[in-house]
Amino acid sequence: MKHFGCLSLIRSSSSRPAIEGLFLVMLAFSSATAMAQTSLEDRVAAYRERVARLEDQDAVENLQAMFGYYFDKGLWSEAADLFARNGSFEYGLSGVYIGQERIRRAMLLFGPQGLSQGYLNNHMQLQPIITVAPNGRAATGRWQGPVQLSEPGANGVWGVGIYENEYVKEGGVWKISKLHFYPTAFTDYDRGWARSLLPMKGPSALFPPDKPPTVVYRSMPGNYIPPFSFNHPVTGEPLKNLPQAADSVTGRK
Amino acid sequence: MTTSLHRLALRTAAHAALAFATLAASAPGFAQSAAEKLDALDKRITRLEDMNQIERLQRTYGYFVDKSQWTQLSHLFADDATLEIGGKGLFLGKPRVLEYMQTAFGPDGAKEGSLANHMQFQSIPDISADGKTGWIRSRAYVMSIGGWGLPLYENEYRKENGVWKISRLTGPFTMYTNWEGWGKNALNNTWPDKFDPPPDLPPSTVYLTYPAYYIVPFHYPNPVTGKAFAPDRGEVGAYAAPPGTPEQAESLKVGRLADGTQPIAEPPRK
Repeated sequence: MKHFGCLSLIRSSSSRPAIEGLFLVMLAFSSATAMAQTSLEDRVAAYRERVARLEDQDAVENLQAMFGYYFDKGLWSEAADLFARNGSFEYGLSGVYIGQERIRRAMLLFGPQGLSQGYLNNHMQLQPIITVAPNGRAATGRWQGPVQLSEPGANGVWGVGIYENEYVKEGGVWKISKLHFYPTAFTDYDRGWARSLLPMKGPSALFPPDKPPTVVYRSMPGNYIPPFSFNHPVTGEPLKNLPQAADSVTGRK
Repeated sequence: MTTSLHRLALRTAAHAALAFATLAASAPGFAQSAAEKLDALDKRITRLEDMNQIERLQRTYGYFVDKSQWTQLSHLFADDATLEIGGKGLFLGKPRVLEYMQTAFGPDGAKEGSLANHMQFQSIPDISADGKTGWIRSRAYVMSIGGWGLPLYENEYRKENGVWKISRLTGPFTMYTNWEGWGKNALNNTWPDKFDPPPDLPPSTVYLTYPAYYIVPFHYPNPVTGKAFAPDRGEVGAYAAPPGTPEQAESLKVGRLADGTQPIAEPPRK
């Protein structure tokens, strides 16, 4: 609901000085219309901010979708390039990898660069809820992430999960500062959720993460609710402490 | 879209400034003109923000359904909202939305061993000229422990004191099946007394789900031709029996009101 219609001016835009110049011309004329002129300038400034936030939202949406298309095809190098300098990558219970080089290598745990015949690694990036900070420098995004997997010699796998990510604008370019995918269920393609539940992988012994998992949870039959980055769109209240399913393993009641 | 708006903002500002520079004597008249241009710009930006906001509402609705957060879900609705899902009939008012969800699907909080994802895709948002009403056609792609489902939505939204809410949720079903898939299995549409609670009003439209066939009317015209969708009154409906049979001839009347129209799930006209 917040329109981020604040009146603060953006100084980084190259077209800004020209507009300010024109307004100075306006202000030089009649003092009788000073109020109207001030109002016009304030309004243009406010509208620039609102349009900038719409553009930011589009940019973040595209960034995450682009990550998905790279990740699908094992283009780990291209995917890792989308992260900020100290960006982090966390997938399920595999732990946290920090920085582009660590992320690039960690993604090799999903298969070779570019994958190969017999691999399917679809990670769809859907249903985004993006919240851009009022200053336009940071954003969060929740995404619905259905997964279709296959690798040579194995049966296909369906998965579902949620992304709760963070983004940062560095030098005018949006980057991923934190990618956290919470897979919540995996099943065998032929058998389905009622008859097959596949576990998540733990941290790799071959290439251990920089940090342990930030959140320990159980995929289905657990029914974990990944935390929400955004407030309720009508009440404006944070979506915290929502009723969760009890979990007999972690002991959550 | 946003980039062209940006350019418009700059152009509008430039025109306003030039108007002052060349005709300062009649500045009040031109100030009004510039203000009017800014008013028009404000409307266009607001429309983009509004479309984003109703999409956000619909996507949030999906995230709440996934995890049985019925109380939070009910807060997405206006006090006098209506809800109609599948063939169950109409529920009137926000408290009945909550009652429907909690009675039919259990208390708040997703159960262990359950999966009920209603992924929200392919939205087509529109906002009325006065900026007070919105509509979305979209779909849910259901991936649940019971199998697969394909609801559509043709919903209406209302802006109340600057806050968008769902004023009418209409979720007619296209197809439901178990894990074996629609080649082997198809579930019937729901009906008013299939499960509790009973609805306040009967279904606004009677139709059958796959393998029968029903076109949910579109809230918008064709974006290229501008023509509104006109259901074929002779042939549109649910195909419930082989072509040429009396049962099929009768079923062609299914999917519309007695006057032959196909409303988008509004309460029946008196």
